[in-house]
Amino acid sequence: MFSLALKNILYYKSRSITTFILTFISAFFFIVYVALMDGSHNSMLQNSLKVYTGAIEIYKKGYRDIGGNEYLLGDVSEIEAKLEEIEGIRSFTSRYETYGLLSSREYSSAAMVVGVDPLKEATMSQLEVGLIEGEFLTPNTSNCIYMGADLVKKIHIKLGDEISFIGAASDNSFAADLFKLCGVFKTGAYEFDSSAVFMSRSYFDTLMYSQNKASYITISLDNLNEVEKIAKEIEEALVDETLEVLTWKTLMKSMVEAMEVDSIFGYISMSLFFVVIFFVIMIFGFINVSSRVREFGTLRSIGLSRLDVRALLFYEIFILSSLAILLATPLGAYIAYYFSVHPIIIEGISETYKEYGIVSDEMPFNFDLLTIAWNVGVIYILNFLSILYPMYFINSFKPLEASKHV
Amino acid sequence: MYKLIIKLAFNNAFIRLSRTILVVIMIAVSMSMMISLQGLYDGMVLSMVDKTKRSDSGEVSLYNKEYRVSKALSDNITNATQIKEELLKRQDVNAVVQRLEADGLSATAKKSAFSTIIGIDLNTEEKFGGFSEFLKPQGELRLDKRGVLLGSELAKTLKIRIGSKVIFSTQDATGEINAIALRVRGIIQTNNISLDASALYVDAKVLAKFLGVSQNVATQIAIRSDSPTLKTELTQKYPDLDVKSFLELYPMMKQMQEIMVIFNSITFFIVMMVVFIGIMGVMYVSILDRIREFGIMRSIGMSYSLIRSQIFLEALFVGVLGYLLGAVLGYGALYYLENYGLDLSEFADGLESFGYSSIIYATTKVSYFSSTFLAIVGASLLSVLLPLRKIKKMNTIEVTKVDI
Repeated sequence: MFSLALKNILYYKSRSITTFILTFISAFFFIVYVALMDGSHNSMLQNSLKVYTGAIEIYKKGYRDIGGNEYLLGDVSEIEAKLEEIEGIRSFTSRYETYGLLSSREYSSAAMVVGVDPLKEATMSQLEVGLIEGEFLTPNTSNCIYMGADLVKKIHIKLGDEISFIGAASDNSFAADLFKLCGVFKTGAYEFDSSAVFMSRSYFDTLMYSQNKASYITISLDNLNEVEKIAKEIEEALVDETLEVLTWKTLMKSMVEAMEVDSIFGYISMSLFFVVIFFVIMIFGFINVSSRVREFGTLRSIGLSRLDVRALLFYEIFILSSLAILLATPLGAYIAYYFSVHPIIIEGISETYKEYGIVSDEMPFNFDLLTIAWNVGVIYILNFLSILYPMYFINSFKPLEASKHV
Repeated sequence: MYKLIIKLAFNNAFIRLSRTILVVIMIAVSMSMMISLQGLYDGMVLSMVDKTKRSDSGEVSLYNKEYRVSKALSDNITNATQIKEELLKRQDVNAVVQRLEADGLSATAKKSAFSTIIGIDLNTEEKFGGFSEFLKPQGELRLDKRGVLLGSELAKTLKIRIGSKVIFSTQDATGEINAIALRVRGIIQTNNISLDASALYVDAKVLAKFLGVSQNVATQIAIRSDSPTLKTELTQKYPDLDVKSFLELYPMMKQMQEIMVIFNSITFFIVMMVVFIGIMGVMYVSILDRIREFGIMRSIGMSYSLIRSQIFLEALFVGVLGYLLGAVLGYGALYYLENYGLDLSEFADGLESFGYSSIIYATTKVSYFSSTFLAIVGASLLSVLLPLRKIKKMNTIEVTKVDI
């Protein structure tokens, strides 16, 4: 039956070529399109994770929903000691975030002032890498601040200038001080660069009365795919009902949801092409089968069953689909791989879409064999579905009727 | 003779009913899906453009030359009321608003967030962009002495409800840090990302007093107009001001519109190419099946041009029938999406934080139907060129003897 199918494929060239080309195009574009879509989504998420948000963060319950100093983490060193014991955690650090007004001589702006451990922070985020002027914080820097480039512009200051700060300390008392600008960073995340200011914890804690306290502890992992497993391990290790361990999927819920919607629209757009291609393959299959009614009648008359006819048509579409997919898959996979290593660069895209969290002009593809496998699976299924009606049509004839068909 | 040709073409178009139905379904389904998608995508972008114009920029906005870079209160338009009056006298201006803005810090007892306080006049904002449509249910559109309307994302960040108190601190015109206590009257959702994330709307007079500036002062004057030349004329008239069109202020929108046009064109082209292949396949086989019939027609004296007309008409009957069915389905889908929208409330957080509504409404343009009609007619006619060539070249005597 297989060799008969092969002969038919070679004999009915126009149908074979059309099916082959359309299947090839579908498989190739599907692999490339999904790789581009997933790649740009992954890139946005990873950039956000790299810039500031951790893969996992530990909060006191209520801090995110209600807020306030009574929801600060209390015994940070004890939690950190427990985190040391858990495998898969690359690094972690505590951060104390507060909001206040920063003023230069003439200008002022609201800012998020964060107390950090400079050594640990350097391993966690893009802060040190983002240095563009001056120097990064050290554990012993006193009233030095490290400020986002867009905030520096906003309040018109330069390195060495003094800036006044007004905010609230951890005991709700009034906190005010004069800081000195020691370093400027630019991560590319506009909102972050225009609002964030960092200080070394050693000085910050004396100003805010925040020794051994933190807004949260942020954690980076060796392998991001293990995030759920490690979050569970952390929960078990902490044994504290007042704490919550949140993964990036919760921390960046809005972004994750927006990506899901974008993917849905992407798949809807692709489905339009698939529907058209499905119909064309089905039409060509149907035309082919309807012009071979007499041939099938003869085959049935010499003993082939309906099942054999189905098998013959199945083999035909299987061989054609497999050939097209065998060619399209490595080509599509190569393009996905190539652009995952050498991302497409669209100059200025990060500036135009900065409000959407795009921090890089690079658009990398996602190379994932499992994704490619299911892409190919979808094309196979569509091709098999397209032959169902022709199968039904040809089997609706009785052998004698079919062999006399004109 | 032509009546006979039309009758022959019509009958032959449906002689192999299953094939014809398949082609008609293919055209109808692909066309209805394509125009639904185009309508939905265009609707998304148009809605963003419309809401951005209504909530912020209008078609043209005026600023102090330095303001958009410095965002400083000192870089303001000092004679804003006078300019506004001048603009309102113009025939080509539909509405004008003047706004006063200052960046600062909003704080509740528990939460703080960066924000921008915007002084507005509710009546002129209503005329300008139907401001009341941005109000979320439960709140009221009232800006009394301490009343504030809060951007929806800012309200989420501050975990604030209607009636809650919020303190806004900023630097006033004298350089002093000043704070004002406000009571939330309503939540505003404009789908303009930056406004929803940071805006506190207060009465313009209250804000002017709080910031210590005259009521004639504004940081922005926004204009609604249909005139394409307004921006150029205002640039000449107010050389000391920064006159910006909507697309200059929101280049992203321009890029989104361009991307959408490119995307829709590519989709259109690919779908029509595949539809063309589908029609061609059917017409080719249909003509080959009847090659003896055409040979006999030629033998009894029918000219090639009449046979050509018959085949063109056959293709047109199939194509137009598919188009009509697709147009009905597509219009139905667009009508539904335009009136009821595509409800993506499950992803509301994500969509709203990126400036989209959680219910996406489509738009309907006549061009969806006219361009598709032309493309399908074109594809139908082109699809028979190859089989026609075969008929033209055939040897009439030999063809009549062919055993099919």
